[in-house]
Amino acid sequence: MAVATVIIMVIRMTSPSLSQLRLWQLISPSLPVGAYAYSGGLEAAIEAGWVSEKEQAAAWIGSLLQHGLGQLDVPVFKRLYDSRHAQDSQQFHYWNHYLLASRESAELQQEDKHLGRALFRLLNDLDVDLLPFCHADQDYSYVAMFACACSAWQISLQDALHGILWSWCENQVAAAIKLVPLGQTAGQQLLSGLQKQIPDCVHAGLSLADDDIGFTLPGLGIASAQHEAQYSRLFRS
Amino acid sequence: MTAAATVKQNSNWQAQLSLLYQQHGSRTVLAQRQHHGPLLVQRPFYPEQGVCHTYIIHPPGGVVGGDQLQIDVQVQENAHTLLTTPASGKFYNSHARASQLQQNLQVANNAILEWLPQDNIFFEGSHATLKTTIELADHARFIGWEISCLGRPCSDALFDSGHCQQMLTLSRNGMPLLIDNTRLQAGHEVLTEKWGLSGYTVTGTLMATPVDRSLVEELRAEFQHGEDCIFSVTLINDVLLCRFLGRHGEQARLLFEQAWKIIRPHVIGLQACSPRIWKT
Repeated sequence: MAVATVIIMVIRMTSPSLSQLRLWQLISPSLPVGAYAYSGGLEAAIEAGWVSEKEQAAAWIGSLLQHGLGQLDVPVFKRLYDSRHAQDSQQFHYWNHYLLASRESAELQQEDKHLGRALFRLLNDLDVDLLPFCHADQDYSYVAMFACACSAWQISLQDALHGILWSWCENQVAAAIKLVPLGQTAGQQLLSGLQKQIPDCVHAGLSLADDDIGFTLPGLGIASAQHEAQYSRLFRS
Repeated sequence: MTAAATVKQNSNWQAQLSLLYQQHGSRTVLAQRQHHGPLLVQRPFYPEQGVCHTYIIHPPGGVVGGDQLQIDVQVQENAHTLLTTPASGKFYNSHARASQLQQNLQVANNAILEWLPQDNIFFEGSHATLKTTIELADHARFIGWEISCLGRPCSDALFDSGHCQQMLTLSRNGMPLLIDNTRLQAGHEVLTEKWGLSGYTVTGTLMATPVDRSLVEELRAEFQHGEDCIFSVTLINDVLLCRFLGRHGEQARLLFEQAWKIIRPHVIGLQACSPRIWKT
């Protein structure tokens, strides 16, 4: 009996918790929200002629990760996660609108809303108590829905942020493979480089005060606005 | 708390201007004006029906390190105000001391504010924060722009030291509609990289709300790429957003004035009536 108990304890200590498994579910590329259909501005950068090989893709994606996501999505994620935890509906909606209002173009905002809506529907189908103050007729940022799920499933803030940034990088790399284009091995090399930036990105983003949140990328906004007006697109906008 | 009380409590504010507009009969009047330190307004003009045109003046002609300026504008129900400035705002080398300009614009239900200042020039060595908060009620309408020039390229004085933060929040009923936080620092890659300013030294942001998609298409058709500047048009929520990158503040203002002439009939239902001061 004693031995069996010890073995069970060891298994519990070394195997991932249910929370971690839930996080893997959320960051899996097979999560049915249609993320593969969006490029987060990468297609616009490629059409503008700014990204045509692996090093440029690494620099472009890395800069968006560090400045865009690191200074906006990460600190706002924390505020969404905390307000969901505190059941503070007003704060949750404020920061959700804050994120959507900070997207640099219509297509980047639409992309975030479409993904947010898809994740809202999915979470609704998974657990009815997940979204106590969210409504189907509202627009949500994908980040807001992701934060909701992580708070409800008791995924730690640190794990959640590392997870969402990793899944963003993975999706950007998948888009780069299709659009630049790059080989599968080059894609894995790209991802290996990007994921080294993630811990610093989380750390820096979590330390920001409210007034220091947000880092607009005017060039991304302009390229993406011009991309909206074009017709030959592989990715949705 | 009244504006005057705020000034007394925060002795750091070296200049504050507080303007309150109300609709009296068929015209908008500047019903209250309070100022503290060197920020003033001229007597309002009425070049078109009842719309109140006002020029904001900063007599010292520039902001130095440690300066704190605050402008509060309230446009009450049904009133219509157009605000501009007669000259570029200048932020001088501040020798590492920070300066701040805070602009709080409140527009009530069925009121209209047009916020059309000249450009701000951030001299090399300036450390400036420009914080603009626009708060709209339900059926408030707003057209506004901000133009920023980094350094003085014409005199070869590039922005090789200093920083400039421009934090702009446009909200309706307390919920953000459009947020732009442009954080520029000398030597930072944001000045040179394609996702940032691509080496351009002048940035401009033009906003108008509420608009629909058709106006976006109309402006796109009108404004093609210039030779030495970039102009883009998009829609964030129901806010039209035009971005300019170039090298001359005057070019940005002229393009924005052209765009405003197209936008104004859509948003406000009036033909453009350019303030006389722009022609001088």
